[in-house]
Amino acid sequence: MNAILTMPEMAVTALALGLLVLDLWTPADRKGDLGIAAIGGLALILAGSFLFGAGAPQYAFGGMYVLDGMALFFKRLMLGVGVVALAAALEYSKRFAAGTAEYCALILLAVSGMMWAASANHWALLFVSVELMTVTFYVLVSFERTRMPSLEAGVKYLILGALASAFLVYGVALVFGGTGTLGFAGDSGPGLGTGSVLVRVGLALVLAGLGFKIGMVPCQFWAPDVYQGAPAPTAALLAAGSKAAGFALLLRVLLEAAPDWALEMRPVLMLIAGASILYGNLCAIPQRNLKRLLGYSSIAHAGYMLLGIVVLERAGAAAILFYLAGYACAVLAAFLVAALAFDPGEPEEIPALAGLHRRSPYLAAALALSMISLAGIPPLVGFFGKFLLLKGVVLAAFDSRSFGWLAGVALAGIVTSFYYYFGVVRAIYWSAPAAERPPIAVSRVAGAALGACLVGIVAAGVFPSPLLEAARLAAGALRIP
Amino acid sequence: MQDLLFYVFAAVALIAGFLAVANPFSRNPLASALFLAVALVAVSGLFVLLHAFFLGAVQILIYAGAVMVLFLFVIMLLDLREEQKRRARKVAAGLASALALALAALISAAALAGGGPADPPALEGGARALGRALFTDFLLPFEIVAVLLVAAMVGVVWLSRKEAA
Repeated sequence: MNAILTMPEMAVTALALGLLVLDLWTPADRKGDLGIAAIGGLALILAGSFLFGAGAPQYAFGGMYVLDGMALFFKRLMLGVGVVALAAALEYSKRFAAGTAEYCALILLAVSGMMWAASANHWALLFVSVELMTVTFYVLVSFERTRMPSLEAGVKYLILGALASAFLVYGVALVFGGTGTLGFAGDSGPGLGTGSVLVRVGLALVLAGLGFKIGMVPCQFWAPDVYQGAPAPTAALLAAGSKAAGFALLLRVLLEAAPDWALEMRPVLMLIAGASILYGNLCAIPQRNLKRLLGYSSIAHAGYMLLGIVVLERAGAAAILFYLAGYACAVLAAFLVAALAFDPGEPEEIPALAGLHRRSPYLAAALALSMISLAGIPPLVGFFGKFLLLKGVVLAAFDSRSFGWLAGVALAGIVTSFYYYFGVVRAIYWSAPAAERPPIAVSRVAGAALGACLVGIVAAGVFPSPLLEAARLAAGALRIP
Repeated sequence: MQDLLFYVFAAVALIAGFLAVANPFSRNPLASALFLAVALVAVSGLFVLLHAFFLGAVQILIYAGAVMVLFLFVIMLLDLREEQKRRARKVAAGLASALALALAALISAAALAGGGPADPPALEGGARALGRALFTDFLLPFEIVAVLLVAAMVGVVWLSRKEAA
């Protein structure tokens, strides 16, 4: 038993529970300190995670839990996302009458669920970690219970999330029925889905269930509504964290546990990737709400990242990891600005961003940088991520013409996305505000979190090699047969 | 005898499940809830046939008993007459039924094709065996579920709290 390996997850869970207990003795005007403590604690755990070296994969709980380079990469990513989301939550929760500690504790529990998911090497652990994430998000999405859109988003996420969970657990049951074991195949065992129809159908249902988490076509319907209605910190965590956890599980299941099935399903996966890119980008064009636009664009980004899966190589997986880190920085920055730049109760309309550069030059620059990175313009991290993903597809196009089509669709999607991302930038800098509005005061915590995201966007774009090296090392841990 | 019981329980579960979501005779939510209870009881019969005695008993006690009573209370407390008047949109209902049928066909094809392990291990489903499995092999998922329940509880308390005036 190697229970020590699970220290980071245990520490996050303990932090969440401790926060809930401390909340009982904290007077109402000091609740903000609890949020600061949570941020500090999570940052400490992030620093502590560097004590674990990315050596040979280590197992705990009878092989159920695996700690390898990829799990470690995802854990650090999720801890970082958690720190920024907590900073946003601390800022945003000034709008709630109460509930700062509960909001922060639930964010921590969601982060712990994502971290368990990154280490899942067993269907039972996969399912409970996904459920821990999903159930926590039901509450986080509808947390602003006095605001109707938040409740509506919560109900939508609840119903579709329950449906996705049903698909997932049914798929797991079929796979179990076909193989008689709940563990993913180890290094030596043959991949799943090499014969039995039962296992293949089961894996398809699992794909549908996980597809809901990453927001790919055809499981994407929830994304725009939920992103729009949810409180901005929740939406940030959904976009950066929940999607990363979904990709961690997809990489494990498709590339490690069932590579033969993934190869067989490659045309379907390519179709899904192309459809996600087109659907997300085309539907984002007419949007006027910033959060809804990010919801549609998140579908497109899920499509781009699926390009790294369809090549079925380590390089593709490394590109996904790099892209996820860059996407997390950009989308967290965008949602942080969405949390700060709008008044409580005001819908996040893009035209209302007019004059933001005069109200707060920092927020304006941050949102513009994040949009430019999401669009994939050269010096920023988004460009390099898209380049890596496309490179794999273009190289594969020499062997098969269908990859050429896929690359074409992806390029068309990227060019389309320039239009709406620059629409946001134009609204910030080049449109006249309807009325003069007071400047925005950015608190120190939120400013620092935003600064960290911006450093990530710029530094990983200008000097991509450290992050790329980390991603390559992490993807190298994948046991692709 | 076992096979016969399997088909009886399975048929009851399927029919009751269908009536719970698409009852052609009544659109009363209460009827749906009661059919759901029938389906849950039939499923617990299936558990017993699989030698999962403890799970079967718990299924009746907790799901068919406690959870269903809660459902019924909520349905009776909320006035759902609006729900009864609502009609599903024809196109959406047709599309959903077609998809559900396709899924059912796919899964039954997979089940008929078979391909499971040649000799499935004998199941032991008493309280002792289940407890042993939960606290040894499945300790980690079990503890994570405990955390999940805490999260759900915190969420429910938050969402259902009375607004401080």
